[in-house]
Amino acid sequence: MSHMTNSLATVEQLYGRSTLNALPQDLQDTIFFATQSLTQAAGLLLRLPQSVTAQANVVLARYWVTTFWPFADEFSDISAASLFLVAKLSSHPATPRDLCNVYAYLLSPLSPLFRPSSAPSLPAKADKTLYYLSEPAYSEAYARVLSLESRILCALSFDTHVALPHGLAVTYLKALDFMDVSPSARLAQRVVAYLNTALLSPQLLYLTHQPSALAVAAIYNAAKDLDAKMPECAWWEVFDVDREELGFLVVGMRSVEGAVRAGHEEASAELREGNMITRAGIETEMRKRGMVLGNGTTGGGGAITAPLTEEDILMRSLDERADQMDS
Amino acid sequence: MASKSRWADTEEDAELEAKLKREKEEKKRLKAEKARKAAEEEQNRIAAQQAQQAQAQAAAEQSRQEQGQSLNEPPRNGGDSRPTETAALLRFEAPTWKPTASVENYDKLNDIEEGTYGWVARAKDLRTGKVVALKRLKLDETTGGGAPSQVGLPETGLREIQILKDCSHRNIVGLHEVVINDAAATRPNRKEPIEAVFLVLEFVEHDLKSILEDMAEPFLASEVKTLLRQLGEGVAYLHAHWILHRDLKTSNLLLNNRGQLKIADFGMARYVGDPAPPKLTQLVVTLWYRSPELLLGATTYDSSVDMWSIGCIFGELLAREPLLQGRNEVDALSKIFELCGVPTEETWPGFRRLPNARSLRLPSAANAPAAVTGSMIRAKFPLLTAAGCQLLNSLLSLDPRNRPTAADMLRHEYFTQDPKPKHEAMFPTFPSKAGQERRRRKETPNAPGRGQKAPASVDFSGIFAGRDREERGGGFSLRMI
Repeated sequence: MSHMTNSLATVEQLYGRSTLNALPQDLQDTIFFATQSLTQAAGLLLRLPQSVTAQANVVLARYWVTTFWPFADEFSDISAASLFLVAKLSSHPATPRDLCNVYAYLLSPLSPLFRPSSAPSLPAKADKTLYYLSEPAYSEAYARVLSLESRILCALSFDTHVALPHGLAVTYLKALDFMDVSPSARLAQRVVAYLNTALLSPQLLYLTHQPSALAVAAIYNAAKDLDAKMPECAWWEVFDVDREELGFLVVGMRSVEGAVRAGHEEASAELREGNMITRAGIETEMRKRGMVLGNGTTGGGGAITAPLTEEDILMRSLDERADQMDS
Repeated sequence: MASKSRWADTEEDAELEAKLKREKEEKKRLKAEKARKAAEEEQNRIAAQQAQQAQAQAAAEQSRQEQGQSLNEPPRNGGDSRPTETAALLRFEAPTWKPTASVENYDKLNDIEEGTYGWVARAKDLRTGKVVALKRLKLDETTGGGAPSQVGLPETGLREIQILKDCSHRNIVGLHEVVINDAAATRPNRKEPIEAVFLVLEFVEHDLKSILEDMAEPFLASEVKTLLRQLGEGVAYLHAHWILHRDLKTSNLLLNNRGQLKIADFGMARYVGDPAPPKLTQLVVTLWYRSPELLLGATTYDSSVDMWSIGCIFGELLAREPLLQGRNEVDALSKIFELCGVPTEETWPGFRRLPNARSLRLPSAANAPAAVTGSMIRAKFPLLTAAGCQLLNSLLSLDPRNRPTAADMLRHEYFTQDPKPKHEAMFPTFPSKAGQERRRRKETPNAPGRGQKAPASVDFSGIFAGRDREERGGGFSLRMI
């Protein structure tokens, strides 16, 4: 059974993440999305199969729910360490040098990853020294990755097993006779796209639902999008997914884009400009929002959130109202 | 009815009958009540489960709701008109993750082994009092001062942990948990480096190798069958779960005092697919148990390498010593050919194409006598039954494609023939080295050497003194700690 099931986050873990954390939810979500996107981009550049990168995404998410502000590590290092760890255990290991080079490039100002489309295009002859990783810088980066790797393992009690829903989804499509109809490639592609997008979801869908449920929800969404004809009956029950669960996941998968966009707009210009989000960036953002943060030296959970001013609260509720009307 | 028979119903009888009837009804009512209660409880339980699930979802949903998005958009397809009865859906039990605990929860009793693959000790769990085996993972190149090693935590160790965590079978050693050194466990935020990782394994009294070395009489035929069948069951489970052990040998097979065999040490094991991935390392399996295709440098191989090792173990159980004790790769291969015959294109098609086969010089097939290409197994094990011989021969087929799978092996008639496999509970017990029990050694005196001086006077006064201090009991004594 272990090939089909995952460890799931407990209620306490999920609840703790949203309440104990001094960081506002939208910032948490923005960081999470950016870190997961960075992992995906690094996986592509390292030519790792998506099965490896996706597992790294899930491991990262599991570690994510166990960490709180003030973060002990840079977000990009968490991403690098999860990818390194999962790749090491797979049949496609990434060499440390490649890994650090790729991250140095992705974090450099030349990386197209977080560049807004409105930004001026890159000069044809980019300055390569901007992402050159010197030997001391490399060993420093690698040391950070190794130290984090062991802490990720500790936090997960050395359980790195991840079952992905992608294979199951193909099996389900076959069972539903979808692989034989003509737009099957498009449908399967759409299903995989939904599953991969769900990896980036700040709702942590891979930590709250088993692969079978994720696969079914992705198929449901893809079939809806492409107007494929589904069985009339409650076909999801054949795959042991109940209607409640399916409904939640269907909405969850569809809302990733909107949630990310909303979080993106809420973040200030500096935070969303050009580069990967850093701890320093988050700190400035918090100060801008009028929240005081513990600097991490006061020990675990020492962060204090200053009460919001009345004006802030009013503005927030107005924003929320506007969002509601939009959606 | 002319006259009332004396056997006819009297009032008393009627009363008795009524009473019995009432009692019966009462019983029936109670039974119905009970069933109703059970059903109710079941319903409550399901409701509680659902509530719990809903709670988990609610927590996950919170992030969305805080952003002011609505979730009330159920899937529209078909669901609304459905009747409300729910199908029985399969629920997966979902384990969770929590921070790794500290090794300080365990109290070391004694070292078991300081071997090639690290250090193993017997220890007691301070929380439960249970005796376990602690295996320290080798963290190579890690310097104690916290400087980073070149590879981080070794993937072999991490693979071993992952595989053992995924396995649950009576013939595979159980992993209770993984613990780390105290500093790293209790202060995760201080970036304390991990200095030691311990696997908390179920404690098993013996390993098969030391039993074989120490036992006075070889295993009975029925005992060999029990051991081999358990080994086959464990390996069949592994192969069914896409795991290659890649280091099966008698020192990695543990035996407890209830006759249960357990496969241990998954340091070489890994997950494979079908077809097996190319470019697997050929440097697996201890030399004496390594199959000919690995010796010839094959990098694509499958579960048949484990089956060869099982063949070697089978032979070792019968002979009480390792079957093919090669000193190096070349010697190992020549010992294999001595026992199983020299391969020919007929017995092993395509073996010439293996990387190391080019340098191989064999007597040419044309002038080689049949004895050279034939197997010597029958001659080497004259006491083995024909079925047993046939099984051993097939396990030790030079061509990996001719070896049976573990599941095939278990269906072999060898296991159904007389003598039947001995029941595990009837298995003999042995003094446990790991548990620090020892066999009572009988010191036999040597003959007096020539030219030794005879003792001048002998004091016989202590002849019956201290009699009650002598060791007693069966074949061994327990050391009390």
